[in-house]
Amino acid sequence: MTPEEVLARLDAPLSLRKRVGYLALGFAGLTGSALIGLLWATEPGLPPRTQVAFAVLVAIGLGWAAFGGWAVTRRAPLFARDRVVAGWFGVGAWLAFTVGGFVISLLRHRLEPALLGVVVVLGVLAAVNLRAARRARATLLRRRAELAG
Amino acid sequence: MSDELLVVRCQLGERDAFAELVRRWHPAVERYVGRMLGRTDDDVVQEIWLAVFKGLPKLRRQDRFTPWLFAIARRAVMNRLRDAYARPDAEPIDDVAGDDEADAVVNREALAGALAALPAREREVLLLFYLEDLPLDACAQICAVPVGTVKSRLNRARRLLRQELVRKGYEA
Repeated sequence: MTPEEVLARLDAPLSLRKRVGYLALGFAGLTGSALIGLLWATEPGLPPRTQVAFAVLVAIGLGWAAFGGWAVTRRAPLFARDRVVAGWFGVGAWLAFTVGGFVISLLRHRLEPALLGVVVVLGVLAAVNLRAARRARATLLRRRAELAG
Repeated sequence: MSDELLVVRCQLGERDAFAELVRRWHPAVERYVGRMLGRTDDDVVQEIWLAVFKGLPKLRRQDRFTPWLFAIARRAVMNRLRDAYARPDAEPIDDVAGDDEADAVVNREALAGALAALPAREREVLLLFYLEDLPLDACAQICAVPVGTVKSRLNRARRLLRQELVRKGYEA
């Protein structure tokens, strides 16, 4: 087997587009199920059929999130650049959840303190994750410059 | 370009660097697998490269890439050997076939045949230390044993190899 054949067989996990796709899928699933869960939790007097539909939608979203998480940890691991992209995706997902959550909350003319708490915690998590990813990449970039020196 | 720089570039996510790393190390990986298993095995080689790709982001000591790579290769080879031993009818290792080939080829084949007849643990330290030119501490890290154990295995491996070559009719 030649090195080119090895690389050809590794084409799928090596593809950046696939890794970014898995990340987008995971975060979209997570944000979607979180917003639907919020709607479900704040909507009073829902008929059982609607509750079942909400539960199914939440389960589908969580399923995609689990698949995305599995894919980027087991199938196509994240390198430094991908981790920064993942960090920004996390911030984007947090922003989408925050805006969606506030819209849902304000439509009911009251701001839930619990929602505020969740938004703050998730925001801190997203920021810390992005910062760690950027620092890890900066460390590697410095090392690359030293070695290429 | 040093291996360490290549590994750092891989960890940054540069695909070209990974291609370069594969081109540089593939012959050594293929040689190690071939000598340890006594035959070429593309599936094991592929398995090793996939594990390298998946493990690279977590490699902390980029300057220790070589022992890390061979530790992965060793794990894949040992898994394959375990599977092979578990099978009831393992194929016997053939004696060297050499008639009118050039001496160098015959000798190389004879050595490969003798190596294949050694127990796996002794064979691997010989391959790592003599054929891949790795230092004792790297061999120890790859085999997950102390340096002293590597030395004793090397001693035993040399003795067994000598006996095997004498058995095949070569002068010790």
